[in-house]
Amino acid sequence: MSKKEHQQFFQDIIDQHKGILYKVARIYCQNEEDRQDLIQEMMIQIWQSIHKYNSQFKISTWIYRISLNVAISYYRKSKTITSNQSFLEDQSAQQLSDDKTEREQQLNLLEQFVSELREIDKALMLLYLEDKSYNEIAEVLGMSVSNVGTKIGRIKDKLKIRFSQINQSYHGRN
Amino acid sequence: MDEIKLKELWQATNEKLEQSQNDSKQQTDDITHLKVQNFISSIKPIKIFTILVGVGWVFILGTVVLNLFVYAFDTASPFFLFSAAIQVILTAIALVIYIYQLITIYQIDITEPILKTQQKIANLQLTTLWITRVLMLQLPVWTTFYWNVSMIEHGNWVLIIIQGIVTLSFAIAAIWLFININYGNKDKKWFRLIFKGKEWTPLMKSMELLEQIDEYHNVAKS
Repeated sequence: MSKKEHQQFFQDIIDQHKGILYKVARIYCQNEEDRQDLIQEMMIQIWQSIHKYNSQFKISTWIYRISLNVAISYYRKSKTITSNQSFLEDQSAQQLSDDKTEREQQLNLLEQFVSELREIDKALMLLYLEDKSYNEIAEVLGMSVSNVGTKIGRIKDKLKIRFSQINQSYHGRN
Repeated sequence: MDEIKLKELWQATNEKLEQSQNDSKQQTDDITHLKVQNFISSIKPIKIFTILVGVGWVFILGTVVLNLFVYAFDTASPFFLFSAAIQVILTAIALVIYIYQLITIYQIDITEPILKTQQKIANLQLTTLWITRVLMLQLPVWTTFYWNVSMIEHGNWVLIIIQGIVTLSFAIAAIWLFININYGNKDKKWFRLIFKGKEWTPLMKSMELLEQIDEYHNVAKS
């Protein structure tokens, strides 16, 4: 591949799949500045890894691998913990008290729940919510399809409890 | 909340996100034209610098000690000679681990599955524990290198006993730390006290991550 083709391939990948980078950055970084740094780091890694791309994998699988690996490594290097639980809880309480539609509240709760998950659980949940097949999730994470199912089931159970607890306290107040 | 409703809800967050995405053309152009530093390569310069300093130290001190062993064994203080030799050997071992870390950094492939890559990176961080353990073994020799034969033969016994207690305490502490500084003790209070502070954050986070990876590997058993 010539340098020009290499550049064009990179540009096409980013144009078509930049949404993946933004979604990954959103769940791993609360702060906008960190998020932009993380997206740039993901792009650099994609650029430097193009020669390793194996066409037996879907391009989205390959991009999810790179972006999630970079995001989890970035979390390890960062000085502050990205998901600040008490801040989120305050924010959530505020949001619940505001006059918002139930859907918006649920949306905030879901985002909050995902941001509070541990690093690899976050990756798994993101792929699940993005409607990826269990096969593709297994390929991105490097685990068996049956383990993917078991893990997703457990996280969904936690989510269910969380939603019911917060909904109960919300309806209890009104 | 059922599966379909959950995914529909998530799609709504994506719609919000799409509206905020900037044009990435400028960013991609910058990346393809600039030689930019990234998070893995940023680890390398400091490691290379540490290795160069370490090699210099081992080379200079090693040469001095070797010369003393060969040409002045009868006249030099045996306490200094053996203390310095132990110090050089332990520093050389720590250097080998550092070099192993550097080689492993180059072998990390960010395009591999998450669990595999993250396990490699976390294990790489954990080798830092080995460096700490080996360097801890140096503790007692810092309390013996200045001893000499005349101090033992003609010195004040109270001072010699105090010196002996200090050296023995350092030796016990060094062996205890060498044995106990390991991943299995990561949740102990004393361990967290030693590894408190910003410079140890990546190491502590790596341990948390390894725990998560273990859970994923053992999901069928739990």
